[in-house]
Amino acid sequence: MRRLAVVALLALAFPAAAFAHASLQHTGPSYRERLQTAPRRVWLDFDQTVKALPNSIQVYSSRGDVVSLPARNEKNADYVSAQLRRSLPRDAYTVRWHVISSDGHVISGLFTFGVRTPAPPPTEAYGASGPTRTEHVVRWLYFLSLALFVGGIGFRVLVVRGPLPPRAEKRFYALTAIGALATLNVGIAAFVLRAEDALQLPFSRLLYGDLSAIVGGTRFGQAFVAMTLGFALVTALLFLSWLTDRTVFLLPAFLLGLGFASGLSLSGHSAADAGASWKSELADWVHLSAACIWIGGLVQLAVVVLPLAPDLRRSAFLRFSSVATVLVALLIAAGTYLSILRLPHVHDLWTTGYGHVLLVKLGLVALALAWGGIHRLVAVPAVARGGEGLFARLPRSVLGESFAAMAVLLAAAILVDSRPPPRVPAQTELSRKASTFETKTFVSRSTPFFRTEAGP
Amino acid sequence: MFATGFLVLGLCQFGEAIVGTEVWRRRAWRAYLWPSVFFLMGVLMWPVMTFFTNSTIHMLAHGTWAEVLMIAGATELALVRGKLSSPWWRLMTALAFAVSGSAFLIHEQNGWFFQRSSFLHHAMGWTLFGAAIVLLARCIRPRSVATGSAFALTFVVIAVMLYCDRDLAPVFGHLSPIAGAPHR
Repeated sequence: MRRLAVVALLALAFPAAAFAHASLQHTGPSYRERLQTAPRRVWLDFDQTVKALPNSIQVYSSRGDVVSLPARNEKNADYVSAQLRRSLPRDAYTVRWHVISSDGHVISGLFTFGVRTPAPPPTEAYGASGPTRTEHVVRWLYFLSLALFVGGIGFRVLVVRGPLPPRAEKRFYALTAIGALATLNVGIAAFVLRAEDALQLPFSRLLYGDLSAIVGGTRFGQAFVAMTLGFALVTALLFLSWLTDRTVFLLPAFLLGLGFASGLSLSGHSAADAGASWKSELADWVHLSAACIWIGGLVQLAVVVLPLAPDLRRSAFLRFSSVATVLVALLIAAGTYLSILRLPHVHDLWTTGYGHVLLVKLGLVALALAWGGIHRLVAVPAVARGGEGLFARLPRSVLGESFAAMAVLLAAAILVDSRPPPRVPAQTELSRKASTFETKTFVSRSTPFFRTEAGP
Repeated sequence: MFATGFLVLGLCQFGEAIVGTEVWRRRAWRAYLWPSVFFLMGVLMWPVMTFFTNSTIHMLAHGTWAEVLMIAGATELALVRGKLSSPWWRLMTALAFAVSGSAFLIHEQNGWFFQRSSFLHHAMGWTLFGAAIVLLARCIRPRSVATGSAFALTFVVIAVMLYCDRDLAPVFGHLSPIAGAPHR
């Protein structure tokens, strides 16, 4: 009987699926395909009937010229295709499409391909805009939530390993849980905003925008998938630790959290820009991880241990001070390496926009380090000597240091969204003329939006 | 898979409602059974969210379901374990149902009879809202067999609706000319 029930449940667990909205199954050319010969048409294959409009497929050259003819349904109404104007020259092309699904929704998407040249990622397609101020803020919130989440767990693993008093324990889990939920939700918001930049659709149309090209065709999308899944798992481990009162779950949670945070390093400047190598990716990850543990630890110290765990605050403060010294050393070493890599000339600091933001960041870093230095040089010896009176003022001062460090994260968020000055290798005039997409990079970042053109 | 998860949840709830909480919990693991399934379904919803990206609205809806399933499962587990004591924490599960119902209704922009998927999305959305109201009643009368059975029934109904193909087939005749030809 039990076997029968198990078999029945397994059979029910894998039913055939059918969905209401049309989904794009295949395209020709495929996402980011590099073709040796120019295609004669662009086609889209959906999983069900769709209705094509004359401007359902529009193919743009890297200069913004439309090179496609009006689109139409094929005999099989699952297919939509558009002939191309002429034999396409060597260039990178952007396909923006939208069709009416059988359920009445207008679904839209984009992808890129290259003719004898690499295709750019969809986030750099023709018409895509660069990061906005909202995205700077969202990225900053992402860094903050990561610090609260991974840095908070790191504090328990590296600084206070044993049990905390009940109220402190409750507050520790509350803060890290807020960090976990914020990490997941802000990550989703960041991804949707980036997709909006690429698709250039008004919000109501963006809801039915096809994101598969961005998820599968960009490092950013792949990092989003890995980090979302990873942080959901870390959240589950954090919950198990709270539920069972076993801090043993925190170590794997911390290690996994640090591991999945590398998604940012593997999809950012350190991985994608000229001069990127495993060393730059590693340095970026060390930089980010050290900052998260430092800031998360400061918050835990100021909000959890100092006010709610009087028996532990002396040992925790001294131990955190030692850990923070190592973290700051790592932070500075990795940051210096990355700065030299991205700004090879000192004058880049005051001649480029990226350099300006970096200068602001360095100023804020100096402030945070000075604050930390006072704690290290004044507060630590006093606490070590047994000065209890200091603990009345210390939480506010530690919180102040963490706010200074959070301001550094805001500058870091803007820096990540900015483009470092291009590294110009020694080139002959001939090779410069022959250079392809890399040096012709889309000028579309400054081109007008497509909000009115993309409608059916 | 999620339909089966809901079916398991419904059967567990029915079992508890029929035999009573005391008998159901004579074996300690049974108390953890349905909250664990709930929490696990939340964790497993994340892969669906990240790999089901053919529209933003589906991605956001699955993300919402993943979160509320995890939060509701976590709250129920904490209540069973004794980490949380106030029965009002069950309102978190009611809230999860209300949010899930809203996600279904917001995501479906066509009317009830546009096509089968529209009908099912509306039906699921309102059933989940109904479940949220039942949970509110359960907070007030936790030992009531009627509210326990009604709660279990909503899970089974949702499971049945999830098993149905949510496709373009007509519901009670093909009412919309835009809906296109049914493909089966």
